Amino acid sequence: MCDQCPDTFVKPQIESIPQSQLALGEEAGYFEVAGTHLYTVLHRVSEPLARVLLVGPFASERQNSYLPWVRWARYLAARRFEVLRYDYRGVGESLGRFEEATFKDWSDDLQVLGEWFMNREPALPLLVHGLEIGGLLASSSFQRGMGNALLLWSPPADANQALRSTLLRWVGLEQLLKPGAERRSAGDYIRELEQGKSIEVEGYQWSARLWRDAFTWKLPAEIINASDAGVGQRPVRVVKLPKEAAPLVKGGFVGADEVKDFDWLFAENAKWIQAQFDLCERGADEASN
Amino acid sequence: MKRAIEGRELITLDLHGPLVQGTYHRARDISSATNDKPHLGIVFLNSLSLPRAATGDSAVYWADCLAACGYPTFRIDLPGLGDSDGKLPKDLLEFINSGGFAFGAAQKVRELVERFDLPGVIIVGHCAGAVSALFAAAESDVCKGLVLLDVYFHLPQAVRPKVRQKLSAWALNNRLGRFMSNVYDQLKKISLSVRGSKPPNNANFPLLRCWRRITSTGLPILILKAPARKATGTKPRKGDFDYLDYILKMVRDRNQVTLTLTEGTDHSFANRLGRNAVQQEMETWLKSHFPLTQAQPPRLRLGSRIPLASEVNPFVSSK
Repeated sequence: MCDQCPDTFVKPQIESIPQSQLALGEEAGYFEVAGTHLYTVLHRVSEPLARVLLVGPFASERQNSYLPWVRWARYLAARRFEVLRYDYRGVGESLGRFEEATFKDWSDDLQVLGEWFMNREPALPLLVHGLEIGGLLASSSFQRGMGNALLLWSPPADANQALRSTLLRWVGLEQLLKPGAERRSAGDYIRELEQGKSIEVEGYQWSARLWRDAFTWKLPAEIINASDAGVGQRPVRVVKLPKEAAPLVKGGFVGADEVKDFDWLFAENAKWIQAQFDLCERGADEASN
Repeated sequence: MKRAIEGRELITLDLHGPLVQGTYHRARDISSATNDKPHLGIVFLNSLSLPRAATGDSAVYWADCLAACGYPTFRIDLPGLGDSDGKLPKDLLEFINSGGFAFGAAQKVRELVERFDLPGVIIVGHCAGAVSALFAAAESDVCKGLVLLDVYFHLPQAVRPKVRQKLSAWALNNRLGRFMSNVYDQLKKISLSVRGSKPPNNANFPLLRCWRRITSTGLPILILKAPARKATGTKPRKGDFDYLDYILKMVRDRNQVTLTLTEGTDHSFANRLGRNAVQQEMETWLKSHFPLTQAQPPRLRLGSRIPLASEVNPFVSSK
């Protein structure tokens, strides 16, 4: 660096990074499912009150919402919930090829993982929590009997709606970066998918089958209408996250939103979970009386 | 649950500071062809706030490929990122641009070297991760080379003001807007020519100093650049300061730094074209500078310690 260069840079105070007391309780591992291994992180706690299975952001949404999602898991673990989070097959740290995986595979994987988690000792109530497309998969498993309560954050009406919004966001970004002649509209990509071709969205190969199948993965009417009444006496809560919840929902700017405070969201939802398990226990007592 | 499966192992670096989580891609065994010498490791750092898999899991792909070539490869989540422990500061970008991860990354890289008995590592970073890689290299005595993807040497704003965003969108989608954008570029070009070769005020001067110190030791560096809008080749948009030209002029031996444009991709390098091109460039560069038959790079001055950034740069912490 030459001496004449102005040194206007002011370094911010770098805080030392304290070690979390919860760190020892996080156990990452590979969980074997049909034909591949899923990356899982189990947040162990001493004397857990209940279990929470997190069915997280899908494919390219993962990279944006990873930090707040991990923080949510830690928030729950700090309140004595044993939490299990994982990556879908073909995504993130999990093995498998994304382009070959189907919604049925992702649903079957969740079923296997959920059964393993439910059968851990000691026996505890289980909440299944899904985010966006994860909410659809969680709902499907919940309908099949998995879990004592269900919490959904911004589930789409169907999986295609979520894919479509991901595509729109990505095309918007592409348009900012590419010269006019190379720019393509979302309609161009959708036409290709409808013609049976694959397209590439943020590094993931979307097959025509993925696009087609996505229409059939819907949020069940039973869940939509459940509101506070629940499904078969099992509580259900559906929360439409506001835009302030970005990057857990689309609309944020990567790099600016991850470190923001999500306590307003976490506290309210953790309170709801705690309340449901109190209710479950009371209900069980009343039934036995 | 298993910690290891074929080819991969989950690792926790717990010796110093916060617990850092990572994935180790075991090198394909080619020891018979390389005189049983241990090989240099490759370490991928996070790009800004992204988890260690990176956009579209591109880092997983690169790590798998490099391991298949015989290089033990690691992807780690820096403290506070991904699955690692630690508290991030509110302004992550500013923290990174000031070398906030340098010490932690250098410490964890050393831990990897000791634990896996490596002769050294190549640090790979993308965008903000490339900035961390550069600062970390200056703190590290085990870093033998750098791969920097779309590295930047200015201090960008984390979030552009809404007016500016709207102006950009208008300039992009409107004929008059495009014309005005070109006029703006011309004005910037005139202003740039008046200023000469001096970097603009929003340059990251500590990072530029770090570059000078690192390159003075002979450390081999590969820079990969993605095409950008209104830019030609590795040159920036008209009117923008040419940092790559500026930093290359600082290097005495031009062969020490390889600069390549990665065609057909975007800033993330995550599409098939981009990730394949990056993979090929990295492999070619590694084979040329760090052939597997030789554990140490031929050009590195053995025994010479890279000075600590804190010795060089008062703005980098010497914790």
